[in-house]
Amino acid sequence: MSLYLQQIKVIFWKDLLLEFRTKERLIAMAAFAVLTGILFNYTLDTTRLQPQDVAAGLIWMTIVFGGLLGVGRTFHLENQDGAFQGILMSPTPRDAVFIGKTLANFLLLYVIALLVLWVFTFLFALEIGGSIWALLLALALGSLAFVALGTLFAAVSSGTHMGETLLPILVFPLLLPVVIWGGVVTGRLLAGRPVSEVVGSIRLLGAFALVAMAAGALLFRFVVED
Amino acid sequence: MSTLELRRTGTMLTVLGLLGLVVVYWLSFFWVSTEASQGVAQRIFYVHVPAAWTAFLGFGIAALASGMYLWLRDERFDRTALCAAEGGMIFATIMITTGPLWGRIAWGTYWTREPRLTLTLLMWFIFLGYFLVRRSSENPEKGKRYAAVTAIMGALLIPFIHVSVLWFRSLHPQPVVLRTDGGPALPGDMLTLLLTSLAVFTMLFVGLFMLRYALEGLRNDITLRARKAVS
Repeated sequence: MSLYLQQIKVIFWKDLLLEFRTKERLIAMAAFAVLTGILFNYTLDTTRLQPQDVAAGLIWMTIVFGGLLGVGRTFHLENQDGAFQGILMSPTPRDAVFIGKTLANFLLLYVIALLVLWVFTFLFALEIGGSIWALLLALALGSLAFVALGTLFAAVSSGTHMGETLLPILVFPLLLPVVIWGGVVTGRLLAGRPVSEVVGSIRLLGAFALVAMAAGALLFRFVVED
Repeated sequence: MSTLELRRTGTMLTVLGLLGLVVVYWLSFFWVSTEASQGVAQRIFYVHVPAAWTAFLGFGIAALASGMYLWLRDERFDRTALCAAEGGMIFATIMITTGPLWGRIAWGTYWTREPRLTLTLLMWFIFLGYFLVRRSSENPEKGKRYAAVTAIMGALLIPFIHVSVLWFRSLHPQPVVLRTDGGPALPGDMLTLLLTSLAVFTMLFVGLFMLRYALEGLRNDITLRARKAVS
């Protein structure tokens, strides 16, 4: 077991180190998040519209689109020069590779999710009336569910000649629960509703994230097989 | 069953299904009584519900066969999944085109944010992805695995999608045949026609499935022979 955790850790650190050295995906996603916030800020007429009524949906859609931008390129670097073949030839089990890569993607996306939350509260002058901790938890669970699906299907789409254009078609239909529950939680907490009103949605988000992770870990071996 | 037998049985079932469809149309236009509150528009029900049933049957078979394919790696399971998914796609398209036509008259709107509508539309898109990953993979073996993974992931997460869309109040008519409280709530002639139509649609699906399966088998044979001829 400890070996398994060790293997997950190695993959996780390797991916984070790669990202830390290049910063390609982080910069692209962060710039996307801020720019999207600015564009939304100008396309919505806030004199007639209460920003907190639409902010929850916009926050989640920005996370999803920005996430797709970064998660879609999970295997981009490694597919060059056959580096990924090297990982597959190592004794690391495929599910450990999946979990390590997903967790690295999760950390990356969570940073972006927090940035998105900050950008929207800053630009639209939103007050987070409810519990910030519940909101952070919902963002974490939603991000985890998203990267689990995103990493699995990034592996699928990087093996096709359609590449990243295929990713939204594969991920979006499955992602609806995340944006529904995530949106509900964010909307209610922004409006200052008590945590008891959102506990159900947070639990469902957690269950979805767990199933998506487990299914991804199980199915990943069939995707990367030679 | 040999390919020839499959094609014979498939053709027979398809022809029978098409004839049955003519009968169903005739019955639903001229025989069955008009529903009191919805009027003539309700007659689309005899196409819509059987199409929905067949679509779910096709997608269900596709997901199951995909799992079996990944497990046993038997080409026949992949072929089953592909052919069932294609059939499911056709009937799902019928379902999501007949539904809004009826909805326009009964609800006053073509589309509404309603659980069953959203769920079936998303399923349609999941299987669109299924065909796209298959087609866009350079290596057909990879494509088969990718498609199977897509179908299984869809099948696993469909319950979540279902629960999540249920959050929005349901406008869709509630089940009238398989109900939890007591027997069917449909008058006799309507129930007879619905069950006939279900049988006809299922027959048509099985017939088309067999034809498609035989075709896929022949295609496989050609590829094998071409490969042998080259080597």
